[in-house]
Amino acid sequence: MEFFRFVLKRFLQTIPLLIIVSLISFFIIRLSPIDPLAELRLNPSISQETLDKEIKRLNLDKPIGIQYLSWAKSFVKGDLGYTSSGEKVSVKLKERIPNTLLLTLVVIFMTWSVGVPLGIFSAIRKESPFDRMITVLASVGMAIPSFFFAILMLIFAVKTGWFPVGGLTSYNFNEMSFIAKFVDISKHLVLPSLVLFTISLSGLQRQMRANMLEVLDSDYVKFARAKGLSEGKVIFKHALRNAVNPMITLLGFEFAGLLSGAALTEYVFQYPGLGRLILEAVMKSDINLVMASLMMGTIMLILGNLLADILLMLTDPRVRQEAK
Amino acid sequence: MKRLITWGFIFLFVVLLLKSCIKQDIEPVYTPQKYSNENLDNIKYPLKNKNITIDGVDYLQSQAPVGEYGGELILSTIGEGPKTFNPCNTKDATSSSMAGLLYDGLLTTHPLTGEVIPLLAKSFSAKGNEYTLNLRKGLKWSDGKPITVDDVLYTYWEVVFKGLGNTATRDAMLINGKLPKLYKVDDYTVKFVTPQPFAPFLRLLSYPIVPKHYFKPVSDKGESAFNAFLSPNTPPSEIVSNGAFKLKEYVAAQRVVFERNSDYYKINLENKKLPYLNRLVYLIVGDTNNEILKFEAKETDVLSLRGANVARYKQRESESDYKIYNLGADTGTLFMVINLNNRKNSEGNWNVALHKQKWFRDRNFREAIDWAVDRDGMVRNIAHGVAKPLFTSESLNSIYLNKKLQPHPKDLNVARKKLEESGFIIKDGVLYDLSGKRVEFDLLTNAGALERESIGVMIKQDLEDLGMKVNFKPIEFNTLVNKLANTCDWDMAIIALTGSPLEPHDGKNVWKSNGPLHLFNQRKPNQKYDDRLAWEKELDDIIEAGAVKLNFNERKQIYDKYQEIIYKEKPIIYLYSPIRITAVRKRLKNIFPTSLSGVVYNVDEIWIDKKGEVK
Repeated sequence: MEFFRFVLKRFLQTIPLLIIVSLISFFIIRLSPIDPLAELRLNPSISQETLDKEIKRLNLDKPIGIQYLSWAKSFVKGDLGYTSSGEKVSVKLKERIPNTLLLTLVVIFMTWSVGVPLGIFSAIRKESPFDRMITVLASVGMAIPSFFFAILMLIFAVKTGWFPVGGLTSYNFNEMSFIAKFVDISKHLVLPSLVLFTISLSGLQRQMRANMLEVLDSDYVKFARAKGLSEGKVIFKHALRNAVNPMITLLGFEFAGLLSGAALTEYVFQYPGLGRLILEAVMKSDINLVMASLMMGTIMLILGNLLADILLMLTDPRVRQEAK
Repeated sequence: MKRLITWGFIFLFVVLLLKSCIKQDIEPVYTPQKYSNENLDNIKYPLKNKNITIDGVDYLQSQAPVGEYGGELILSTIGEGPKTFNPCNTKDATSSSMAGLLYDGLLTTHPLTGEVIPLLAKSFSAKGNEYTLNLRKGLKWSDGKPITVDDVLYTYWEVVFKGLGNTATRDAMLINGKLPKLYKVDDYTVKFVTPQPFAPFLRLLSYPIVPKHYFKPVSDKGESAFNAFLSPNTPPSEIVSNGAFKLKEYVAAQRVVFERNSDYYKINLENKKLPYLNRLVYLIVGDTNNEILKFEAKETDVLSLRGANVARYKQRESESDYKIYNLGADTGTLFMVINLNNRKNSEGNWNVALHKQKWFRDRNFREAIDWAVDRDGMVRNIAHGVAKPLFTSESLNSIYLNKKLQPHPKDLNVARKKLEESGFIIKDGVLYDLSGKRVEFDLLTNAGALERESIGVMIKQDLEDLGMKVNFKPIEFNTLVNKLANTCDWDMAIIALTGSPLEPHDGKNVWKSNGPLHLFNQRKPNQKYDDRLAWEKELDDIIEAGAVKLNFNERKQIYDKYQEIIYKEKPIIYLYSPIRITAVRKRLKNIFPTSLSGVVYNVDEIWIDKKGEVK
């Protein structure tokens, strides 16, 4: 019961948040000096009639407040509207979401399955040569900008010819056998996921290491050791369980980044995901598409946090106590 | 000691880093002439296509050398890919070129000479304001239904004339507010009658013909249904088309794949059906950098080269698997426009300050600017030599270009003399007008366009040689358009317009005194134009006269005159046109690049030499 009240409360809290986010973003986009029709205006063969028709179709003749209200009304009804070129926003998003999810899930799987053990290991072997080496590598990984690394990888692909230059599938993808399809997609995924992996691995590894060190230093671990428990038991049964809590919050954020976290890398690799779609939409001030993606990002962030809180409640009795 | 070594390493690292910055991987290009040599002259173009009737079917026979069947051509398109495959509703270049592959029009443009030639029509004849077109017999849509006169009537009556989809063709067909009439003469003949002779009309008949049985159920539902019709996500097997290629697959943000239409009406010299290619693939790439990478990784077959890349590709051409074609100057015209406006705005203030009006409306002043601008310098420094100086209002590849209008180099002495004639005085390197006012004005362009910003800086320096003070201000594109089209409160601006190399009448919005894009002396839509300058009036008359003359040579004379006026009066100072240079893989055969149509316009004739394939 308590649990459901908590979820409901959190859910209600998100409504004003969504309204504020949508208001701010809508006005910022509309007040930005990008005119979706600027190109048409400077085209000598476009008649005034056509221009007026376009203005009307895109609702640009109405005051910005009304524009917002009509957008909000249809958004609440679940209608995301049409892009400035007349395609359904929901269709466009649906085309791209699976691709982005594929990339981000692969990356999250890789980083978590490598980052967490690495963090634990370097915490246990604190200050050992191995730990130092990992620290240096992590710093490099954190310092290198993702777009730059992505460009380096692209050049690598061109020079060696081992990997395709961007994209997700080859042009003859549809005629391939199932195994060939799998290989094709994997080949396309290697470089972008490697870039994202390197960038997020270091953060995760550092976080895990710090958590673990803190816990290893605490009294109950010392006590457990004093009791004469085996080192494995101390670490995995007592220390790890407590060190993992902050990581759950982090997982919540990862969830929020599922759809939007890879935008820059996606763009450099011409990956057919959401990032490229949204960037192009912003450039053209394609309001419905931008708003839809921003709202999606907001909802994902809220959901991610909610998910993390619920998970924490399940794992950590202290949080359960507080929620009451 | 340890610290010393560390610092030594850091020092070495920095030095190496700086060293790597010094060395350029490309030799700077100082000889732009190298690229302006046309190399299209030695290409032997296949003669005009012929009509051949076999078993009651009127085929169109290509005169290009016979090739081998099979293989695929992989091209790239920059941007987001097509937005629709409905040929009547395309509003961007990518969509219209792809929809154009699916649907043929009655007529088309000869890729080399630019004259109008039959395509889906078997032949045509024009007499005064009557245009008669004969259709081919025995042609079929991709679903096997015959292409009939009804499809033609439907396309014009119910799509074009009703203003469904993109209305550009309808707008262009309106003559004094009246649409042409279309009659069915017999089952294979139609006749268009325009209200008066109208030269641009014939070219508009390249509008794609669509299948009535497939389009009519949708167009009957109204405009919004029609606009949503044939969106990129339409299942390809549903699409009924008549072009050389059929849609095979569309993958959002990745590619569009076409496959050959095995029942196309074009045949080769051995009377076998074209096209040769099995597939035509367009990869959708986000930007030019990615396009270049894809070409270098051999994922694409054709690449149009820009700026600094040309030198690099040219150097590597001899040991590579591609050939570089110079297609000559582009249709784009980049120019600086001077505001001759002498009217007041609604609040009673001058659009352009009174003393500036005197300068700008003075031909000597405009000529002085023209002589002071260093076009060659711009071509060399800004366009990396891959451009040609421009002096005419028609683009350099236009079939109406007035070749008598000669380019001239920068000459400050001529410029100074012109200024002196109008009483301007240069004192201590500063230019004053007759009343002793210092010559100072703003030069605008749209911020973010790097090329135009660099041009602005160069023009500023050039005009400072004359003692003018130029305040160069890149501003937001919209603000600029608003100033140009509505508020008219600007001095000079650098912008570009795309013109048509085939139809000068398309520029009527710019040249007519009451045109909505009459930049240099913009009037409000309802404003009278009895205050127009003598040469503005002359331009108005020319634009009117040019539209009703049907003979090419007579029209050419008329449009020569209009270019002469602009050349003489200089309300617009043209700067340069980029040159289009394209790299094409050598294994592609039947490549006949033309200045008007580019490289892959004859995609139904192109074939792939598999022996020459480099793996």
